[in-house]
This record gives sequence, structure tokens and C-alpha cells, in this order.
Amino acid sequence: MINTEALKELIYKMADDQLILGHRNSEWTGFGPLLEEDIAFSSMAQDKVGQSHALYQILNDLGEREPDTVAFMRNANQFHNSQLVELPNGEYDFSLVRHFLFDTAEAIRFQMLTESSYTPLAQLANKIKGELRYHTMHADVWIKQLGSATEESVSRLQGSLDRLIPYAMGIFEPSPFEVQLIDDNVFAGEGTLKQHWQEAISLVTSKTSLNLPDLSLVEPIYGGRIGKHTEHLQPLLDEMSEVFKIDPTADW
Amino acid sequence: MESLDPRVNRLNLSLTELTSKAPLDQLGTYEVFSQLREGKPYFHVGPVHAPNCEMAFLFAKEQFSRRQTCAGLFVVETRNIQVSIFTEGEDTVYNYIDDQSEIKNGNVQSFELFHLKKRGKQHEHIGTIEAPDAEVALSLVKSEFINDKPVYNIWIVKTSDIEFNQEEDKIIWDTLPDKKFRDAIAYKAADKIKEFKERQS
Repeated sequence: MINTEALKELIYKMADDQLILGHRNSEWTGFGPLLEEDIAFSSMAQDKVGQSHALYQILNDLGEREPDTVAFMRNANQFHNSQLVELPNGEYDFSLVRHFLFDTAEAIRFQMLTESSYTPLAQLANKIKGELRYHTMHADVWIKQLGSATEESVSRLQGSLDRLIPYAMGIFEPSPFEVQLIDDNVFAGEGTLKQHWQEAISLVTSKTSLNLPDLSLVEPIYGGRIGKHTEHLQPLLDEMSEVFKIDPTADW
Repeated sequence: MESLDPRVNRLNLSLTELTSKAPLDQLGTYEVFSQLREGKPYFHVGPVHAPNCEMAFLFAKEQFSRRQTCAGLFVVETRNIQVSIFTEGEDTVYNYIDDQSEIKNGNVQSFELFHLKKRGKQHEHIGTIEAPDAEVALSLVKSEFINDKPVYNIWIVKTSDIEFNQEEDKIIWDTLPDKKFRDAIAYKAADKIKEFKERQS
């Protein structure tokens, strides 16, 4: 028998990460550094919002409220996303590095979940494999390109990398249900995920002029998973839910 | 002197002294070929500007696989495509290919062959040929096509100059069929608009 509380904690943080980063990526629409990149970020944003919807649907089946209600009617302190995904987009180097750090972790997390004992998660993980592969391919190619192109591109990416690494490590904030999820074969745990993530990102940065900080010396920025957020999340939620809140019962 | 038109500034015109002509600040081009369905031939779909093959592949995916199904994609730097003469009417390009009986020395490598079967249409991937160079490759296949329908133009490319999508990455084309919400046509609003108008009148 799978522990439902543990399951909900896992799915809420995944869904909230995808929804919030999906919204942030969508803010690039019309502002991308070049046309293809504008389209790519918009398209990946749609994928993320779609993935969050699928996860909220699973939560709904577990007894939580409707996906729209869960997505639009909560306040910042009820969200479980990592602080990494709520930070404002900044310049393109910042968004690109965040995309690389987050999507690498997300792709590995779903890869691990293809073997989950909780069938709905395993099915979803298999269904979105292709999308996730493209997201990491996209991130890796850009990081390799700009991470070894010009002095400016390298120093910009390095600056964003240094700033974002502590937030990225917040993705793996220890879960109170870690042992339970592992014992139930639902998910192999944030610890294992972090280890795979570290290997994957250093494999890419090693092909560039970028220096990955020594992660054992970095103080991770935690709190997102328990509802502690930066001042940037609430304004994002207000904007995201503005139309929905005009008439929550409207039929689209 | 700065002009308000960036195109003029890019010309690097100097009004006072002689200067060397600057190259255009522009990325090179890559030609993109796509396959609509597994097992169907690849067709040329157009060019993209990019700094290298990998980036060209990403740009190509965004430009050429969003609005139609896609099962595969490859890119090749434009300058690596060797182009034959063009013909018209009943005249096939293979009439102008040398019969080459002497086998040249040299290492054999593989080439990809593309035919233009109708003027104004796209080049279609026909197959792969092993030969020491592009000329010999075409003479080797001449007998196969000379009595066929006319071919108006040939492209031939070294296989090693092509960036294919990796076999393990093919899953990127398995996009979800339930993404119709991305297209305006998926939103059925006509009934609602009609109902609204009736209520108004």
C-alpha cells in the first residue's frame, strides 16, 4: 500500500515546478534573442504547463481539488515549487542556465519514475519522454555553444551559473517522505536524483569553458518545498490567475 | 558616420579613406531535409542560418517540424552540397553525366543522392552510393536512371557531411497527439458565438 501523503508531496512539488517555470518561459514569447529561440522557449513552456496539468490531474484522482482550482486559487505559501523556478527571467543567459539546470534534473526525475510502482506516474513518465529529451537536447546544445563561444558569452553564462547553482540545489531539498518513497518503490529519492544530476550537468559543462562550482561547498537554498518563497512568486501568481479569477466558473 | 538604417551601417562605408570590404555579420547556412513519416523519403524543406550543425538541427526542428508531422530530420552545410546543371522538358540531367569506365584509385566513401523530379518542387533523397568521388558516384548510377522519368537537377552530398538525428533521440518526434489545443482550429467557438448572438438580438 503506497503512502498517499508521500505521493502527494512528491507530485505537488513536481507539478508546481513545471507550472511556474512554464509560466516564466512563456514570458519569453515575443522577446527571444532570435526567432527560433523565441519559438523554442514558448513551445517548451507549453510542454511544461501541459505536464503540470497531467500531474494536477493525478492529484485530483488522489482526492485533491480540480487542476484549475489547484493551479489558480492558491497563494504563494501554498506552492511547493523550488525557488529556482520562480526567479524573474533576467537576461537570456540567466534563463538559459536555469533551463539547463532544471530540465536536466526534471528529465532524470521522470526517467527514474518510469520504474515507479505508482502506475499513473510511470505511465506519464513514459508518455512525455520525447518532450523531455528534446528539452535537454536543446539546453545542452545551447550551453555547449555559448559556453565556449566568446568572452562575453562565457562570462555571462558563468555569472548566471554561479548565481543559480545554490537555487538549483534547492530542487533536491530533502523530503520528509524520502525513505517511505524509496521503500514503496515510488521514487528512488532526491539524494539519488541529485547525484545523477550532478554527473549529467558536469558532463555538459566539461565540454565548455565554464567552471562548475564545487557543489560540496555550496550552501543550497531550501524552503520552496515547504512554502517559503522569494518575493517574486506572488506577483507571478497574481498575473497568472488574473483572468481565471474574473470568473472562476466560466466554461472555456 | 552612423546611419539610422542598420543595413547601411553593415556596409561599413567610409567617406574619407579606402577600407577593406568587411564580411557580412551573418551565420552560414545549412540545408534542412525532413521525413514526414517513418519509411518515407526525406525531402529538402529549406535553409537555416546557424553557427554549426548541432545548432542548425535545433533551429531546423523549430522551423520545419512544428506545423506538420515529422519522423526525422537532417542538416548539411549548404556549401557541402554539390549541384548539377538544370534541365527541362524531356531532357534528364543524366544525359550529361559521363560514362566512367576507368576505376579511379582512392578510398571509397559514401554519398547521398537527391533528385529534383519537377521544377519548383523539392529535392528528394533517392539513396546512398559508395564511390571514390561525386562524379564517379553519378556515373555509377547513371544506367539506373537514364531511361526513367527525367530528373531536372541532382544534389550529391558526402554522407559524412550530414548531421543526422541520433537513433536514441528519435523519441523527440513522438509528440503527443492530444496537443490540438495549440492550434486555433481546435477551439470550437461557432456554436457559442451563435448562441451569444441569438441572446443579444
